[in-house]
Amino acid sequence: MTVGAPLRAWITWSLILVAVVAGLLRIRQDADQAQIVLTMLLVVLGGSVAGGRPLGISLAVVSTLIIDYYFQEPYNQLTVPKPLDVIVLLAFAATAFVTTQLLASARQEADAASARASEVEALSRLGAETLRYASTKEAFDAITALVQRAIGATSCAILPGDLPARGVRSPTNPHADDITAGDVAERAIERARETGRPVVVYGDGTIREHVSTDIGTPANLTLRPRALALPLSAEDRHIGVLLVGGDRPFVLDGPRRRLLAALSYYAALGIERQRLISEAAYSEALQEAQQAKDEVFAAVSHDLRTPLTTIKVLAQSGIERWERSSAAIVEQADRLARLVSDLLEMSRMRAGGSTLVPELNTVEDLIGAALRQAEGIRNGRTIDVSIDFESPALLGYFDFVHTLRIVGNLLDNALRHSPKGARVELRAERENGSIVLSVGDRGVGIPRTERERIFQAFYRPADATLDGGHAGLGLSIARSLAERQGGSVEYVERPGGGSIFVLRLPAADVDDLGSELA
Amino acid sequence: MGPHKEITKGQRPGFTAAPPLERVDDALRSTLVQRAVHASTMASIASTRTLIRAGAILVIDDEVHIRQALASAMAHLCDRFLAAGTGTEGLALASRARPDLIILDLGLPDMSGVDVCREIRRWSTKPIVVLSARHAEQEKVNLLTIGADDYVTKPFSLDELVARVQAQLRRSQLALVAAPSAIECDGLSIDFLLREVRRDGRLIRLTRTEWQLLQTFAAHAGRTLTHQQIFDAVWAKSFGNPQQYLRVHLTNLRRKIEREPAAPRLIITEPGVGYRFAALEP
Repeated sequence: MTVGAPLRAWITWSLILVAVVAGLLRIRQDADQAQIVLTMLLVVLGGSVAGGRPLGISLAVVSTLIIDYYFQEPYNQLTVPKPLDVIVLLAFAATAFVTTQLLASARQEADAASARASEVEALSRLGAETLRYASTKEAFDAITALVQRAIGATSCAILPGDLPARGVRSPTNPHADDITAGDVAERAIERARETGRPVVVYGDGTIREHVSTDIGTPANLTLRPRALALPLSAEDRHIGVLLVGGDRPFVLDGPRRRLLAALSYYAALGIERQRLISEAAYSEALQEAQQAKDEVFAAVSHDLRTPLTTIKVLAQSGIERWERSSAAIVEQADRLARLVSDLLEMSRMRAGGSTLVPELNTVEDLIGAALRQAEGIRNGRTIDVSIDFESPALLGYFDFVHTLRIVGNLLDNALRHSPKGARVELRAERENGSIVLSVGDRGVGIPRTERERIFQAFYRPADATLDGGHAGLGLSIARSLAERQGGSVEYVERPGGGSIFVLRLPAADVDDLGSELA
Repeated sequence: MGPHKEITKGQRPGFTAAPPLERVDDALRSTLVQRAVHASTMASIASTRTLIRAGAILVIDDEVHIRQALASAMAHLCDRFLAAGTGTEGLALASRARPDLIILDLGLPDMSGVDVCREIRRWSTKPIVVLSARHAEQEKVNLLTIGADDYVTKPFSLDELVARVQAQLRRSQLALVAAPSAIECDGLSIDFLLREVRRDGRLIRLTRTEWQLLQTFAAHAGRTLTHQQIFDAVWAKSFGNPQQYLRVHLTNLRRKIEREPAAPRLIITEPGVGYRFAALEP
């Protein structure tokens, strides 16, 4: 609607009114009041449609006076002696006013609806555009450009939450007066980050946080915002701040607020997208690194074990030929193999470790495998096992291979520290939510001060004889492997002398096996 | 581990008259011969000191010292000992000489041991024992799945390898005759026709699942079966993932058939891989 349009409507409809009144005056004698009143009402309606509420109401007032003056007896006087004529006048005036009002508000609603429709259209176009941009940076640029246009601000920046506020903004249109480059803006950003609420910097330099940004359009420019720090959130997390502002105050009315809210939503989406992309890239890199590590360990393992195998096999055939040193070579090769295996496991754990896969396993199965493995290192010592074979099998959630390593290390430790002919005790039981495996020896025990240190890597007791092949890694590996599957390894002093190492692991229940066990 | 310790110290027991496998040709496989062979193999199972000899054993390993050591360790187990240093050479030798058992190292210079194993399996069902330097359980599972029969991890002991080779040779001889109707080992007798298990003459009651487990193991005695293979054989197609219950059933079975359930001698756990019925090992 151009500026001249209302004026033209006023002139046109005033002329029409004059013409209609002139026409009606000619037939004043023949027409009755209803015809005249309805004709005048038609003029008022037409006027309000064309010129809106002011024209409609003006026409209604003038028409009421005209009807009284020209068309009600006595003519050419404003007095109305007949009560019926008064009712006609009042009815006309009321009808004219009400219809004018109704028409006006209907039109306002129609205008607002079409404005909203175009707003929605603009936003959906913007949404599609932001998603279409290949890089997040392009999307950010598009959003900030739109914010600047919509608000009339000179600069706008999107600041992801994990970046420091300083030094990331580069106003697209730098200006000496640009408030977004100053310390005030920094303070506003900090406040928005802390409170999670929109923070406004006013024309007079005051900073205030708002529950909403409904500031209206104050005439006083110092009461208008010069910068706005709008917190961005996704899934209830604050992920950044949108900063908009410039060299002069701007207006934040309803449509602009809504547009800004929608744009900040797109900015948040952009930040989320950036985060997800970098997370995906990170986990991919991590996976590649893990794979590379696995390959290195496999290669090192192969390269170390192959010569050991040759040495051992040659020495074993030497035993067959009754060569005296062969048995010692086999023994040393075995020790070296254990050491290599411990060192490999240790470095694998330091490098992030192999994945442990806890599964439903029975403790008996574990113990059986551990005893079989310990056969070679028993050296004439006995392992006494106490398990309750009458109750249902003890079940736990643990990674079989790695837990076997734990038990193997504990048995190896106990056997090495037991006097010849002594018995090592292995006991398994259930204790609330845990299965408890304890390995007891009758060695010299461990002094109070050393009890935590024995679980450190490469620990050796001060008085330890150099018994070769033991780098002091066994207990450290055992504890670390237990902890990585929700368990623990603890030292307990054994009454009557010696040590007990207690392995705890999450227990499992047989109930959920249901009919499967029948 | 008793008997073969004696072997390595030179007190070798006399060989049985078990016929070399090649000579058991199809025409001779009448019921009568089957019974005779069966009887002799069953006898050899009962007497674990009896050596089973193979016609030829092939070792594929790039380490010359290991080949030499294995040559002397295997000398009393076979008529001919063949050795190859590369995968290509090994494959050529295997197809030409048709050995009764192959010992295959996985770390070959020219091709992956897995490929060699797969290639051999295309035309031969003879036992393959793998030497692996890695402690990667998944690799072992893969190998057993593509058809290797057993594996030992480096550094292995010669005694252990000889025992495994013996077990494979026995198994492959048994496979030539009809599946045995009964097995007896370590005081445990399993009668497949009557579906009865006795320990020292006393009847043992098994659940259906436990019986199926035992039957599966006994049918593949001496061979390491992966969890998946056991599961497929016993449960066939089942819903969900009750594979873990296998371990519970197995523990219950051990409690019934093993003398010492915590130190099993019949069903051996191969950590991270599966289980092996050790009835055929000395």
